[in-house]
Amino acid sequence: MKLQLEKFGKTLISRELGSEALKAFQITLRELPKDEDLEVDFSGILTLSPSWADEFLSPLLNQLGEHLILLSSDNLSVHATLRILQEANRQSFKMK
Amino acid sequence: MDSSREEQLLTIGQAAEYLGVSLNTLRRWDENGKLAAIKKGGGTHRHYREKDLEIFASDLMKFASEWIQSGTEFPGTFYCPTSSIFNARLTKMEMMLMQKPGFEKLYSLITLITGEIGDNSFAHNLGKWPDTSGIFFGYDLDKRIIVLADRGLGILETLRQVRPELSNHVEAVKVAFTEFISGRAPEKRGNGLKVVREVIIEQPFSLFFTSGDAEVRIKNPDKKFNVVRGQRIVRGCLAKIEF
Repeated sequence: MKLQLEKFGKTLISRELGSEALKAFQITLRELPKDEDLEVDFSGILTLSPSWADEFLSPLLNQLGEHLILLSSDNLSVHATLRILQEANRQSFKMK
Repeated sequence: MDSSREEQLLTIGQAAEYLGVSLNTLRRWDENGKLAAIKKGGGTHRHYREKDLEIFASDLMKFASEWIQSGTEFPGTFYCPTSSIFNARLTKMEMMLMQKPGFEKLYSLITLITGEIGDNSFAHNLGKWPDTSGIFFGYDLDKRIIVLADRGLGILETLRQVRPELSNHVEAVKVAFTEFISGRAPEKRGNGLKVVREVIIEQPFSLFFTSGDAEVRIKNPDKKFNVVRGQRIVRGCLAKIEF
């Protein structure tokens, strides 16, 4: 399954909205077969902040582990955010 | 009087709308000399030059520091009472930055650090604002400056909820910028200021941040992160980003 993150907005900043986005996405996530990967596509995102991503991507990493795949992005805020989250969680995201 | 100059005069109502303050505030500012009005031909009606209002509204650091220091009113255009208003104004700034030559890629990092500092104010003070809720958020993209401020609990009081042993503002601000810790335990939070520090050090940006009597300056040439004890104690937090 591929998730276009921009469906939640192009500027993803606040914790509050990151948490709301995760709640909304859990309904879709139930349809993901157990062994299938979830690919997160950052294209179209203008700014992604660690606060938003910590509420959304960190719990998904705990939930899906190896089945969470992040697609590469050339956006500088995506790079900075993923780096700090990996450091904070002491866990790496699987990238593609 | 020069007729072209006369054409540029705004009524007190137009000036109030321009600055986002009430008529009474403008009358008070005129009386106490903070923003003097023009009274045509010895009349009593107050008028304003647009240029004067523009200059008055450009001193972002003055407005923000006077507000957190003593609650002084500032033009309402800089006030974000809620997180959603802050987000909307931040998105507008992001769009303007994207169009600025030289910032086609950097815009996202400037938006990120601004967003983290502003969102921190809301996240850590939710339901706990000591008096005025919300934040000051002003920017001048030509002067390349962004100012954010809040009259919240400040870093020390926020972090003491999870680190009761913290004894002063300098220590608390140092922890906030360098360690993974949350002011809202047991939730795992608090990456915001760490990423702000990293981005400011790596990119051609500089930062001044103060909370309590702690002051952080990260600027050229060495971009060294250092927290010092300043001369005065401020309420909440104040941040100035230059890029």
